[in-house]
Amino acid sequence: MPAIEFHEVTKVYRRRLAGQEVPALTHVSFEVGEGEVCAFLGPNGAGKTTSINILMGFLYADWGEIRVLGYEPGDVRAKQKIGFVPENFAFYKHLNAEKLLRFHLALAGGDMRKSAGLIRDLLFKVQLQGYEKLKIGKYSRGMVQRLGIAQALLSDPQLLVLDEPTSGLDPSGRKEVKDLIHTMKKEGKTIFLSSHILSEVEQICDRAIIINKGRLVRMGSLNELLGTGDLVEIVADQLPAEMEPVLAGWGATIERGVQGVRITLPAARKRELAEKLWAAGCDVVSLVPVRSSLEDLYMKLVGSGEPV
Amino acid sequence: MKIWTIALSTFGSFLRNRLLIVFGVVFVCTVLLMMTPLLGAKAIAKMGNAQQAQVMVLGIVAAIMFFVSGTGSLLAAWCAADAVASEMKSGTILAVMARPVKRWEFLLGKYAGTMLLMAVYVVMMYGLSWLLAWIGGERIHSTAWVLLAYPMVRYAVYSALAMALVTVLHPLVTMGITLIVAVVALIVEPTGQAVTGHWKYVRWPLWITLPSTSLLSEERFLTITHASLKQAGWLEHLTTLAYGLDYAAVLVLMAMWSFHYRALTRD
Repeated sequence: MPAIEFHEVTKVYRRRLAGQEVPALTHVSFEVGEGEVCAFLGPNGAGKTTSINILMGFLYADWGEIRVLGYEPGDVRAKQKIGFVPENFAFYKHLNAEKLLRFHLALAGGDMRKSAGLIRDLLFKVQLQGYEKLKIGKYSRGMVQRLGIAQALLSDPQLLVLDEPTSGLDPSGRKEVKDLIHTMKKEGKTIFLSSHILSEVEQICDRAIIINKGRLVRMGSLNELLGTGDLVEIVADQLPAEMEPVLAGWGATIERGVQGVRITLPAARKRELAEKLWAAGCDVVSLVPVRSSLEDLYMKLVGSGEPV
Repeated sequence: MKIWTIALSTFGSFLRNRLLIVFGVVFVCTVLLMMTPLLGAKAIAKMGNAQQAQVMVLGIVAAIMFFVSGTGSLLAAWCAADAVASEMKSGTILAVMARPVKRWEFLLGKYAGTMLLMAVYVVMMYGLSWLLAWIGGERIHSTAWVLLAYPMVRYAVYSALAMALVTVLHPLVTMGITLIVAVVALIVEPTGQAVTGHWKYVRWPLWITLPSTSLLSEERFLTITHASLKQAGWLEHLTTLAYGLDYAAVLVLMAMWSFHYRALTRD
């Protein structure tokens, strides 16, 4: 059973007084499997936060079917198994970390007798130990974000929904959050993550869903999305001079360096080249498909608004 | 348990709410200022004209208690409206509602937190009425539970009204409507005088529809002289309080229904 199912979800914001209708999502369909780390990408205003709000039961869709861990959004049985970090996690400023986590644990129906140990462990996990008694109003942005993650982990969730978890964090803060997500991934949790930092998404996620202007533009595993298979890169220890005109005819590019010769050519010619190199007594050091970066793909898709 | 947790958190937020603290300070200053003529009247009594002074003292005490009691209704309405609206405005509601909490549980928790604050207010009001009576050289003969239960029910009605309105309207609009309802409810109270013209066709429906402030007023029973002691039987208390509680319950249910269908994102 998929952890998240969106089927033909449509949401229109209506400004009744102005008589305006702003479509936020138009027939968006996707699934996130159990144990996956899935990135949810798109520019500002693409409909990411609207989708997450619908998923969490904060907003109702106008059309479509949504299932979260097999239940309707907002169902308490689903919410018992979800950890959620909203974009710009807001908190009760008068509380300290310990009291805030105790409050959330009580709402989650957790065992309050074990709260002290659990809270201590979680604050240690997000590196906020020593700040338990400090009022949250005095926390830095990064500390607040880490506290947000700690509260999401309180009830040992099966599904984590993270809306821009690294926004506003400095590089070290981002690394800490990234490491935390890696840890949770290893624990087998399903993670649905919205982010603008594509290089991080590329490192953390298994799959990506890209939306733009409320429409799904592309989804798939990162290998499917980035490893297009059009080009391969072969590194050989040497390249006989007589092969260079042949390669030029295939449209290959050649770069010579200290580690050897780097040849980029159409994937259809890879076997032929490898065999020619071996026949000529050259050693093939590596042969890898050329992956475009997620950023390249994102710019291409979001720029063109290409449908799925 | 969840409702109680939300109620306690709401109550804690009220105690740290700057606007409420300012309100408390202004309120205490106003009561102290109103006590100046009371103490003046006491001084006159000492000088000889005891009967005239007694009338003055009672009038002043009644005025202070009317102010305190009336302010309580608006305070209850504002607290209830703010308890919901501020959570939505700040976005704290998102983390709370991501927990296994039903929407009605959240709203009931907010309502219970407001009533907790109003319970403290009512106890303080009761203490103030004792203090004023003591300064006036009298003592309150009404039973304590009447002076505690009636304002609580009235505040329950006004906070439920504000909560129902704030689920669909801006908090300032909510307060405006609540204030209008309170004033109109006072105007349409039956006075014993004959009503003529089209007004009678408007007055009765309004009297039936709007919460009756005077019916639920503890001032009906707040007497500090034996001469004006108003007796009321159990049945009268029961029906009056049931009327108020029923009104509040209907409004809370309407608030829950409306809250169930609204978006929880920031306003």
